[in-house]
Amino acid sequence: MNQLGILFQKEWRENQRNYKFFWIPAVFILFGIMEPVTNYFLPQILDSVGNLPDGAVIEIPPPEPAQILAAVLGQYQFVGMLVLVLAYMGAIAGERKSGTATLLYVRPLSFASYFFSKWLMAGLIALISVWFGLLAAYYYTFLLFEKVDFVKFLQFAATYSVWILLVVSIVLAASAALPNPGLAAAMALALIFLAQLADGLLGAYWTVSPVKIPSYAAQWLMDGPVRADFWWALGIAVLLIAMATAFGVWMSRKNAATAKV
Amino acid sequence: MSMLEVKRLTKRYGNELAVDQASFELEEGTATALIGPNGAGKTTTLSMLAGLLKPTEGTIEWDIHSGIGFLPQHPQFFPWLTAIEFTEMAAKISGVDAKLAKKQSERTLEFVGLGKAMKKKTGAFSGGMKQRLGLAQAIVHQPKLLLLDEPVSALDPTGRREVMDLLKSLQGHTTILYSTHILNDAEEMTDQVLFMQSGKLVEQGSLAEVKNRHANPQIRIRFDNSEQASRFLQNSPWQAEAKGASIFLAGSGGPAMEEVLSVLAAAPAGVAAVERQSATLEEIFLKVVGAR
Repeated sequence: MNQLGILFQKEWRENQRNYKFFWIPAVFILFGIMEPVTNYFLPQILDSVGNLPDGAVIEIPPPEPAQILAAVLGQYQFVGMLVLVLAYMGAIAGERKSGTATLLYVRPLSFASYFFSKWLMAGLIALISVWFGLLAAYYYTFLLFEKVDFVKFLQFAATYSVWILLVVSIVLAASAALPNPGLAAAMALALIFLAQLADGLLGAYWTVSPVKIPSYAAQWLMDGPVRADFWWALGIAVLLIAMATAFGVWMSRKNAATAKV
Repeated sequence: MSMLEVKRLTKRYGNELAVDQASFELEEGTATALIGPNGAGKTTTLSMLAGLLKPTEGTIEWDIHSGIGFLPQHPQFFPWLTAIEFTEMAAKISGVDAKLAKKQSERTLEFVGLGKAMKKKTGAFSGGMKQRLGLAQAIVHQPKLLLLDEPVSALDPTGRREVMDLLKSLQGHTTILYSTHILNDAEEMTDQVLFMQSGKLVEQGSLAEVKNRHANPQIRIRFDNSEQASRFLQNSPWQAEAKGASIFLAGSGGPAMEEVLSVLAAAPAGVAAVERQSATLEEIFLKVVGAR
């Protein structure tokens, strides 16, 4: 068996036994269901907490189903990112700091296999979380409101998947590069949120940006994004994933000497 | 045949020399004790030999295909893996064939006395069990060279005895280099000793060689009581020193054992015992490393 397989088995066992395999998708599914459900019950919620004068009539136009799914992405962009970053900040930095990595590094270890075993596992869990979460959102939106075209939904979820893999790559590269899990999380979150902030401020002039992928994903639910911009942004995102993972492999090899003995 | 040859091995952290120009050789199948006080550079030396740290200067020459086993002072395990899962993974990463890895892991865990705890998660292991598992992962792929950092110092006397016996059973077909500051252990299982202080090797050689070099064999004559001892001392033909019921004759330049015995045979005083005392590793340690 090659080293990637051996190490992936270790990651698989770890993520099962510390329940990451279950709770991370659970968080995404929860937020996927909450959005359509709160929208559905919004009039009642306002009614019960609103302190409105007697006789006031609230009329809320029913939301577009596409808007609800887009709002789920909005939740994922904050809570989802946070969960993934916190769950995987220690993947490499934590193993070095606790000294568990030492007994691996002392062997003829392929650091590419080491890094990619973690990348595959974290990516798998992130994708499972996003797809199950969005499918739950899709189902409840259909149940409580209207059906969204399923092909459009697939385009939407697939586009967002590329973004989530980019996030996973950044977190793991930060974990490989920095001396402890906390710093890795701070760096990854700063990078992701600053890029989004920059895009929010200057994005109008900068259409080909991987940071726009989440909003391009939401646009698939309507008429779809401008195709050229979309494909360029996607291409750049894939390139960034390749660069982040290559950097991660290099850094995990370079920092092996800092593992606690 | 020389298994490992280290020349002018040096590790510098900033201005600090953790290891300073250490040169030594390990003969195949021998056990070598690396002795020194805390902070002498023992762990740094072993880490460089294990390939975890890059030397600042110097060379390490050894047969790359012979495989290496390393036991850190405080081995850390993934708490959610069982002992057998971890050992098997370790063997496979070291290149042992998958089928063989399972068999070898089981045999090794039995060997270190973890047969019954094989399927338990290492998170629940005691310190002694972790040390045994650490030894198991170091030898599961049957390396020719075994590097052990303080293999027994964290153990209680029983555990220490058992692990020492395990190590002794490896002696001969595995080349062992281990650090320790427990000198009784070193004396028990060593062919060669390396004394390290402040990063420098201050004394080295085979155990007999080093003992000879620092030998100061005293002859001790023990009497029934201190009165007899002091009486004998008064008309003693030799330079001597009294301590309680015993007197000690100076080693170098002193009388030979035969001479002592013939004189004592004629003496009326109540002699209880006569013995020659050679230097222990502890005495040598204090001498070369210096009592601080």
